[in-house]
Amino acid sequence: MKRIAFLFLAVSSLCLNADAATRPHYGRTLRVSLLARPTSLEPIQSLAPTAPQLAELIFDTLVSLDQQARPQPQLAISWSAEGGNRRWQINLRPGVMFHDGSPLTPEVVASSLRAANPSWQVSANGDSVQIVTDAPNDTLPAELSLVRNAIVRRDSSGKILGTGPFRVNDFLPGRKLTLAANDDYWNARPFLDSIEIEFGISPRDQLIALELGKADLIEIAPEQIRRSTADGRRVVVSRPIDLFALVFTRDRQSAEEGRLRDALSYSLDRASMRSALLQGEGDVAAAILPLWISGYEFLFPAKQDLARAQQIKSGLKQSSPWSLGYNANDPVARLMADRIVLNAHDAGLAVQVTPNQQTDLRLVRIPLVSLDVRLALRGVALAADIPAPAPGGTTLDQNYQVERSLMDSQRITPLLHLPRAQGIGVTVRNWQRTPDDSWDLESIWLATEKP
Amino acid sequence: MSIIWQAPTISTHVAGTAGFSIPGIANANRHRPTFDNGSSFAIYNSPFSFMSRALSLSRTALCKLLVIFFLLLGSAVAGVDWTQIERDLSAKIAGANGPGAISLDLVNRASFGKGELDSIRRSLITQLSTLGIQVVKPDQAAAVVQVSLSENLQDYVWVAEIRQGTSPATILMSTARRATAPVLPSAHAPAITISRTLLWSQETRILDTAVVEVSGAPGYLLVLDGTGVRVSRFESGRWREEQFLPVNHVKSWPRDLRGRLVLRKDHLFDAYLPGVICSSTGGASLGLSCRDGDDPWPLSPDLSAFFTPNRNYFTGGLSPGIRQENSVAPFYSAVPVPKANYTLWVFASLDGTLQLVDGVSKQSLSGLGFGSDLAVVRSTCGSGLQVLASSNTDNATDAVRAFEIPDREPVPISPLLEFAGPVISMWTENNATNAVAIIRNLDAGRYEAYRLSISCGQ
Repeated sequence: MKRIAFLFLAVSSLCLNADAATRPHYGRTLRVSLLARPTSLEPIQSLAPTAPQLAELIFDTLVSLDQQARPQPQLAISWSAEGGNRRWQINLRPGVMFHDGSPLTPEVVASSLRAANPSWQVSANGDSVQIVTDAPNDTLPAELSLVRNAIVRRDSSGKILGTGPFRVNDFLPGRKLTLAANDDYWNARPFLDSIEIEFGISPRDQLIALELGKADLIEIAPEQIRRSTADGRRVVVSRPIDLFALVFTRDRQSAEEGRLRDALSYSLDRASMRSALLQGEGDVAAAILPLWISGYEFLFPAKQDLARAQQIKSGLKQSSPWSLGYNANDPVARLMADRIVLNAHDAGLAVQVTPNQQTDLRLVRIPLVSLDVRLALRGVALAADIPAPAPGGTTLDQNYQVERSLMDSQRITPLLHLPRAQGIGVTVRNWQRTPDDSWDLESIWLATEKP
Repeated sequence: MSIIWQAPTISTHVAGTAGFSIPGIANANRHRPTFDNGSSFAIYNSPFSFMSRALSLSRTALCKLLVIFFLLLGSAVAGVDWTQIERDLSAKIAGANGPGAISLDLVNRASFGKGELDSIRRSLITQLSTLGIQVVKPDQAAAVVQVSLSENLQDYVWVAEIRQGTSPATILMSTARRATAPVLPSAHAPAITISRTLLWSQETRILDTAVVEVSGAPGYLLVLDGTGVRVSRFESGRWREEQFLPVNHVKSWPRDLRGRLVLRKDHLFDAYLPGVICSSTGGASLGLSCRDGDDPWPLSPDLSAFFTPNRNYFTGGLSPGIRQENSVAPFYSAVPVPKANYTLWVFASLDGTLQLVDGVSKQSLSGLGFGSDLAVVRSTCGSGLQVLASSNTDNATDAVRAFEIPDREPVPISPLLEFAGPVISMWTENNATNAVAIIRNLDAGRYEAYRLSISCGQ
């Protein structure tokens, strides 16, 4: 009788909680498949633009941003500013080692930051680092959290070293990266023993690898999120953090051209793009930054106004059709480009999709590099090759003015804000959903089959 | 059935940007942004259940209480003082518009309830009127003001758009810093068999707590975390932090950090952490002396076990051993179950099985749904001794259940006691009549220490 009672209770508890786990297990290897093909482990030139999540596994930054975009200590334990936020003193965490066992020193940190920021004057100062900027820069602590400012050291053979939770075991550029847990990591050794990352894997092959249990972590394209979820896969989705936008490759040459660009913007049916091409994922983008980061996106219009577009276009002559380029490896981009051509045509504008590199317009997907409003705006400007706004500005009004000026330049027309999604294997535990979609792989662990 | 309800008190500290520094630098957590990792130093504590007002409620009343609880939960912005942001935005509107008549339209772009929205509207109208602006109907207004109540990661963002005729709108913004995740009252479950009392809550991971009794009443609460031991005195029905004793250590802690507080007779307490042993020191004031060491951690007054310094489990090495057995398979936790002529030890192994060891034989049990954490408590119910076990779930909630082991087979004797997050640690208290369960409350984004005890199902 007791056995029956026990079984009943045990089964009922299993029914309530079908997904089994225990205290985190150390060990095992996480297998990751990615589409990107980073050709080097250099944070600035290679990892940041192609696979920023990987940089955070190998390298640390001095500062990180928490869930409310507030700077928090990492390799830096404290910081202070003088001279109206022009001169910054960064105090380093003691006892941190690079992966080869060499210590993190102010000299190494200064050298690393100088390489990433030629305009900064960076010097070692006792146990700390001093950074002097040309102009007051109150965003500097947040800026130090960017992947491009990860602290790197090169050994005598030129090998690049970090202080992060994983060290590089083997790297085949563009093909494969094997990482091993850093046993001496200053912020606790990861649970995983190692990570194997295969590069250049198509989305379809990634899905197959996940299905067959040959991968534990894959990327899911936004337009595949709904289907993957319906198919019963474990899918984790970030907040909309990538910007899909149209970028004019040069400044407007006349007031008339500016009005034509206005007409194009009014002609775009972003809602249809979202529903038809992205299966309802993501958000219509009225501004560069999504509402959840800026809080003021609604101040920019995003609704299609074809009548107004036609009205603006009437009486104006478009000297030649605009050529529109897109990333041929992005299956959604081609469909988006075709939709833009149709919308423009309805307004009387001529846009031609072309595979050429030199185009009037580019359809781009820009990852937002930071949760900090100012840094995110600068990142978008740099990615779109638009003159970057100055780092100054402390209030939201000033940030809004910066974004307004970028929009008023008519170089960029936001279309959609897209989430990022990953498919994760059934044994992956403790996946942390982060607002900036960074991968907290040092905290995850792999479960073994339940006995 | 009885309900213990105690409203929490909240205090927050938000670190600024420039000039930021933290104490206990060697122990600072990495602040990669996650939705459940905070960084401020808010403290919440509630008194013991026996110090609280106990209410006898029917099931219907309990349901009503829970409905109210969830309604409170849903109104995340309720209770915020908007006075400053209302004043600020009103002043900006007055500065841009000047005295006169305007129409005012509020747009809810955040999570405000209708009541809150109405209240804000009334306050804005009052503020504006003191600045010479009258809010009138749109057809009587010289300007149309639309105020959007929005929010971003850091702030509540209120935006006023002032439109006069065909001129472009004037945009004005005011912000108020958002608090960190609110501390919500925990819905205390009915004391059916396992009862719980919230001892302490904080944003950083709690490893263990211990209640020091003075003259038979709770006098001090010790809370161990990765940075040190907080000492609080029980005063006026609540715990008030008096002292913080930092744990000094050289090597970084392992992930899934664990730790154990053990009250002593010759000094106040010992704290066991991976590779580090700390002892309280007396004298004029309480201190803490720590050293590197792999001394075994006490599992009971009679048995200790070695803990892996860079992992989250016990090696399996025992001191002095269970009869002839000096080692078992590595395990996460263990409890003794005294029998007539021997003690049966129950180990929660790394592979999810239970190992039963009595010094003569070993037995392995699997598929029981046990989690990694076990504790044992004495009571006046049943056999007088119950094993508490976390469940092996990693859903949003976790649960603890009481078992008895009359022979070699655990028999569940209580329903699940559910928590709003995973049980990350459970230890038997020194007096063995209670256990401490540490919960990571996913709703509140905080760690909570509960005292668990067995009631006889009244």
